[in-house]
Amino acid sequence: MTYAASRPEQEAQTGMAPPPELADWLAAVAQHGDRQSFARLFQWFAPRIKRYMQRLGADPDLAEDLAQETLVQVWRKAGQFDSSRAPSAWVFTIARNLRIDRLRRQRLYEVELTEEADAEDEQGDGHQRVLDRLDAGRLPDLVGALPAEQVEVIRLAYFEGLSHGEVGKALDLPLGTVKSRLRLALTKLRSAMRVEP
Amino acid sequence: MTIRHHPDDATLVAYAAGAVTEGISLVLAAHLELCPRCREHVRDATELGGALLAGLDPAPLADGALTAALARIDREPQAKHTRRPRHRPADGLPGTLAPWFPAGLARVPWRTLAPGVKHFRFPGVDSGAGTVRLLSIAPGTALPHHGHGGSELTLVLRGSFVDEIGRFAAGDLAELDPSIQHQPVADTDLPCICLVATDARLRFSGVLGRLFQPLVGI
Repeated sequence: MTYAASRPEQEAQTGMAPPPELADWLAAVAQHGDRQSFARLFQWFAPRIKRYMQRLGADPDLAEDLAQETLVQVWRKAGQFDSSRAPSAWVFTIARNLRIDRLRRQRLYEVELTEEADAEDEQGDGHQRVLDRLDAGRLPDLVGALPAEQVEVIRLAYFEGLSHGEVGKALDLPLGTVKSRLRLALTKLRSAMRVEP
Repeated sequence: MTIRHHPDDATLVAYAAGAVTEGISLVLAAHLELCPRCREHVRDATELGGALLAGLDPAPLADGALTAALARIDREPQAKHTRRPRHRPADGLPGTLAPWFPAGLARVPWRTLAPGVKHFRFPGVDSGAGTVRLLSIAPGTALPHHGHGGSELTLVLRGSFVDEIGRFAAGDLAELDPSIQHQPVADTDLPCICLVATDARLRFSGVLGRLFQPLVGI
């Protein structure tokens, strides 16, 4: 396998923040099936999802098809979007699940992750707390500020769909190093994403 | 339920990225149902996925892509404004697993694997080279000492076990990578029921282990 180490440099401009209107467009689609807002969402997301699918092994025709289908699902499920989360994260999960279904013929078992569901939790285990608010808008800059070696393992996991073992083989790194880089990256992002109360 | 053992953050990142097998995702989803801390970590790793998607270089679309998509949504009804409910764990059984066990953990169609050890393999879950199964370990029973070709995730649903790493009770998730050999022992008066997924073959050591290997049949 040759996952060229040049990739992180080629895509170093992770600072590209999504337009702030994404959430409004999603709301307009959810509330009154607004086609113009859908068109804007499509024009922003579909080309990126097509790239995502190609990175994960789809040929251009299939990638185009999967990008289109992701956006059709965005239309259909817009009412389920939780406005406390980043629109791009929600669309990412739809694209991710579609590629697992179509490219791997598997599924990813999921649970509801939203804050509201946590508030209803009745386990009485002391975890009923107001979750920190994420400042997800800063995330692209934060990713750009991570060390290149951490960005490299993140990209292989998210965009090549590689397991830790496969990432280790691709980069000729011990498994423990792959895991510690991912762990460090998440810890750093988590602390940086949280706004001071 | 106080959860003391969690999956590695690296594993939660792989889950959010969609880079784990279906079997591993089943165990992680069952743990997530029980664990607000790990839900938060997965939520953050998912936000990271969104930011990475947003940062990708846009690929040019075919002519007429938007027109085609608009034609498609004309035929697609929009779903109701609902939120997917999270199942409440009943009887120690996370809702994620409920479809396989309509009568709960009391009535699992077990098969005996070895003295004191029963298992149930999940039909219809694709784990690649690994497996996903429910294990029931009788009180005091020790599993053969074994290592792993890949990762092994074990979620305790009922009872508890101890191994070289520590003590694991309901809700705890034990994560082992290939460098670790362990020998779990059920350490209470109740059978220890756990959900175990591997993403590669187990490696048993010792005479008992070699006898056990064909029974495990992976």
